Amino acid sequence: MQTLLKILLKYSNFLVFIILEVAAFLLISMNNVYPRSSMFSTANEVVAWQNAVISDICGYFSLRSQNEQLVAENVALRNQINALDSTRDMSAFRYQDAKVVQMTTDRLHNHLTINRGSKDSVSREQGIRNAEGVVGIVQTVGRNYSVVLPLINTQTNLSCRFTKNGYIGTLKWDGKDSRFALLADVAAHMVVNPGDTIVTSGLSKAFPEGIPVGIVENSVLKEGDSYHTIRVRLSTNFKRLKYVEVVNNMHQNELEELTDGLD
Amino acid sequence: MDWTKQLGRYVLVMLLQVLLFDQLQLWGACHPYIYVLCLLMMPITLAHSVDMVIGAVAGLIMDIFSNTLGVHMAACTFIMFVRPYLIGAIINDKDRLNEQISLRAIGLEALIKYVVILVFIHHMMVFSLAAWSWDHIGFVLLETLVSSLLTIAVIIGYNLLRYR
Repeated sequence: MQTLLKILLKYSNFLVFIILEVAAFLLISMNNVYPRSSMFSTANEVVAWQNAVISDICGYFSLRSQNEQLVAENVALRNQINALDSTRDMSAFRYQDAKVVQMTTDRLHNHLTINRGSKDSVSREQGIRNAEGVVGIVQTVGRNYSVVLPLINTQTNLSCRFTKNGYIGTLKWDGKDSRFALLADVAAHMVVNPGDTIVTSGLSKAFPEGIPVGIVENSVLKEGDSYHTIRVRLSTNFKRLKYVEVVNNMHQNELEELTDGLD
Repeated sequence: MDWTKQLGRYVLVMLLQVLLFDQLQLWGACHPYIYVLCLLMMPITLAHSVDMVIGAVAGLIMDIFSNTLGVHMAACTFIMFVRPYLIGAIINDKDRLNEQISLRAIGLEALIKYVVILVFIHHMMVFSLAAWSWDHIGFVLLETLVSSLLTIAVIIGYNLLRYR
């Protein structure tokens, strides 16, 4: 026993080192599998407040109030359209405006923080869009702020379809250019032309069908490949992103209950 | 060495890190983490394990600001673990190490060796752990190289101005 204690004491530094590193790696792997607690992310009040201040300072002062007005107007109009449009079953979706207070575009795991949280009834897996098209999906929700995984994050997957024939594929990002993403799972027999429009498929709870995602820039089909490699020019300009809208699916709970019942 | 001064410098450097260096968008790959300046220049008068705990906490704080829980913590703990051994290997005159590690204390050549090695290890760990896959190894290496160079320049520059 005493020798064991002696050994532990002798290597105590190394032990502390190992414990700290194991703790750090646990945190990293938890992060990559399970959504982090909002306290340890930019949804944290203090951090988000600081980011909000920065974005205020850096904002275009003269344009801001006008922009806010326009966004609110857009939201109101879109809600009206949804209320009227019962044929496309989009009436389940409501929109809420939000402001981007922090954003990265030049990393592999980009993320953005918006100034809406649980007090505005934002929840995980909700979609984020703007007037141009799809922005991303809510990952972590704090009280006043939320962290969003944008399309330009290598962890993001989005189910999309071609407007011309309804063919479905999965949008992924390769970590290179914030203007382009890749569309996977499109079988070789399908004809893909530059200029084809890609929209949301409506298969996920996050978005209604038909929100613009991007336009095919080019597609490559190598001899023997069973899938196309398609480069998509994204509709959303992430470098200029300032105001977004949170997509609220009124049927989300019902859908979740239904799918939970299947397990 | 006065520890309130060290803490004051940490607060100032973190402000610079978050308000200025985190906002940089240079060449798409330049993300310097100048906050390691405080860890590198800390005197090595404390117990080794206390050093590592300080490193872990500083890393965790940076993680919260960059949405990368655990990444900076792992890197900072590691450089704080390596630090005393590296100092031992680089510096012969150990009597001068009662104060913080600066240009005045260890001289330019030793300082450059020390800063380059530790900053490079730290940035390499941060970017590869954040990527968490081998798919982007090229980008990770580029990011490490470009960002390390800027961080090293900032730390050496600070020493040249302040501790000549």
